[in-house]
Amino acid sequence: MATKTMDLSAEARGAHPGESALHEREMEDGFSANLQAHIGRHVRAVFDEVAREPVPERLLRLLKDLEQSGDK
Amino acid sequence: MRRKVSAALRDSLVAEMSSLRAFGVSLCGDKERADDLVQETLFKAWNHLDSFHEGTNLKAWLFTILRNTYFSERRKRRREVEDTDGSYAAQLATPPEQLGHMDMQDFRAVLARLPDDQREALILVGAAGFSYEEAAQISVCPVGTIKSRVNRARVRLAEMLGLAADVDFAPAAVTPVIKSA
Repeated sequence: MATKTMDLSAEARGAHPGESALHEREMEDGFSANLQAHIGRHVRAVFDEVAREPVPERLLRLLKDLEQSGDK
Repeated sequence: MRRKVSAALRDSLVAEMSSLRAFGVSLCGDKERADDLVQETLFKAWNHLDSFHEGTNLKAWLFTILRNTYFSERRKRRREVEDTDGSYAAQLATPPEQLGHMDMQDFRAVLARLPDDQREALILVGAAGFSYEEAAQISVCPVGTIKSRVNRARVRLAEMLGLAADVDFAPAAVTPVIKSA
């Protein structure tokens, strides 16, 4: 079975038994889980920094204007 | 023409504005211009609300409009001065939160140096919360292309930050490339 083979090969490589296919894939990519998580955290931080700012007044005003023009 | 927009749809529009802005900034590197993009996106979305089916993915729809607006404007302005390394990042001068100051500055700078398509894919999947499939729809390309862009982006970032891909390090302990005085 596929799963079984994967577990065996992971063990054969010296990985801890039970470590998942995900880990195996990361190793194939040459990219550690920690490194990927590190980059992920930073990408989100850069994005969230802007996303957490209050929406500028002019954008909120535009929405109001659009609504009013639609009600005419 | 009378436009009937449900309160729910209007609230969703407002709710997505923050992440739309963040996406806009990640594309063009400039908050003022990002706000213009969001403004234009809202305007277009509003005028085409009848083509949007309520209950489907509003966020992906808005991101698609903003992205298309950005790239078609950029094609028009092609003869304008290209961003040189760093000038884009230098415009992003907001004080960082959460992560260390140097950490964030370095990271913003290297993120800005990624090729546009790689940065876009990474932001859509890694920060804006889209699936690979949604990101592929937004960027009008195959899912496999998005996946490889995200991978290349990660590898490239790690290289630029001087983080070797084969080194396993503790998540909290990392500080990328600080030049010694």
